[in-house]
Amino acid sequence: MHPRSAALIAFCDAEAGADRSRRIARHLLKCEKCRGQLRRIRGEKDELAAGAAAAAVDSRQDLAGVLSAVAAWREGRAGGAEAELKSRLREQVQTYFGSPAILVVERPGIPAEELLGRAGEMFEVFLGPEAADAVRDDVLRELDWAETCR
Amino acid sequence: MTRRTDWNGIESAPLWIVMFLGAYLIVQLLVLHAWNAAGQVFSFQGTSGSASSLPVAAMAGVGLWLCLVVLRSFPPGAPLRSAWMLMTLAAAAAAGSGVLMQLLGTDWPLNPLAWTGHATPGLMERMQRFALIAGGPCRLALLAAAMLGVLRILRKFGFWVRPCAADRAVFGIFCLFTLCRFCLAGAASLAGSRIGFEEWVSLARLPILCVLFLEAMLLRQAVGRMGNGPIARGWLALVWGILLTGAGEAALWVIPQYPRSLPMAAFAALIQLPMAAAFALVPACQIAAQRQAIKPAGSRPEDLATGVPALAR
Repeated sequence: MHPRSAALIAFCDAEAGADRSRRIARHLLKCEKCRGQLRRIRGEKDELAAGAAAAAVDSRQDLAGVLSAVAAWREGRAGGAEAELKSRLREQVQTYFGSPAILVVERPGIPAEELLGRAGEMFEVFLGPEAADAVRDDVLRELDWAETCR
Repeated sequence: MTRRTDWNGIESAPLWIVMFLGAYLIVQLLVLHAWNAAGQVFSFQGTSGSASSLPVAAMAGVGLWLCLVVLRSFPPGAPLRSAWMLMTLAAAAAAGSGVLMQLLGTDWPLNPLAWTGHATPGLMERMQRFALIAGGPCRLALLAAAMLGVLRILRKFGFWVRPCAADRAVFGIFCLFTLCRFCLAGAASLAGSRIGFEEWVSLARLPILCVLFLEAMLLRQAVGRMGNGPIARGWLALVWGILLTGAGEAALWVIPQYPRSLPMAAFAALIQLPMAAAFALVPACQIAAQRQAIKPAGSRPEDLATGVPALAR
């Protein structure tokens, strides 16, 4: 069952709660449609943020500087989490399949979400659902993936 | 995220299988060496007819148990479920055939049918025949079907490479061997000699083995693209199992052609045990990979930090 738009927005804002976030994250791994919707929500949020920043620039130059600094900080944080997620996924693929398998799963410039989806599907097929869930939890452990959507 | 391997639990099954196989091969080779050094004065054919084949049946039983454990981990509808189901059936055929052939179909003292007086020659012969068919063509056909499913899934995920020249050569050699066997059997039949039941079953195995060889070559290439992880190692064990089955088939046909008397039961066990071990390693490696993933957090060395407060970290 697909999560509602409100649930996806809450997930994107890291306000969905731990259990719900995990359920939505698992669903996102399997559902291309919901991933697309999540990307759209994130895009809209970014547009709104950009609009707000533009308005702020018009009104106060100092505030614009603060906003751009915050945006840069967030981007850096999201990029760091994405890189960490990719690195963990690579490590898991290498552990269970082997190093050459990384080349098959990962193509240059692949988004972390897509890599998570591909690797997750592979783990589910070859290891079974229970072990695949455990690997996924291991990859996402202490990595607040929802935070990166903010 | 690297994890230590321990010797406890079902996840250490691959290590135990390899250890047992190594120990058995060393002992068997030492016995053969001693027999040869003693000038072949004693017959160990008489003492180790069924006994030397029992480890093969036991290994097939272990393989069946491990296959059942793996099968339970794939729910209905899972892509590899049907492949594991077929592999479990193949393992059941091998184990059942081993029990019928080495335990119930023989007149040695540990046969429970002999204690109750039911072990009539007719019944034992029927059991032997059934065991030959179940453990031969039936098992190989089930394996071929299972491998087809595995190859299809590997292809879907991009682990697909065309066979190289060496693969084609190995496949070609085995096809030639099959052709030779059929020609010889045909020539013998035309010359008026009767082809026995065992020979018929052996001939029926060969075309299926040809298909299995082709699949094994494709699987070998796919696994080469995957790497050296426990999942890849499991499928590689299947490739080795098939290659050893083919090599064993050829060896067990060639050796009796020599006039020199050799302890065939011991030789057969020496060839068949690595085969059975390779097939048992397939589910064993799969279980090792699954248990490695499911191992509870906190039992891993890298999880020690989870007990430390976040601020301190």
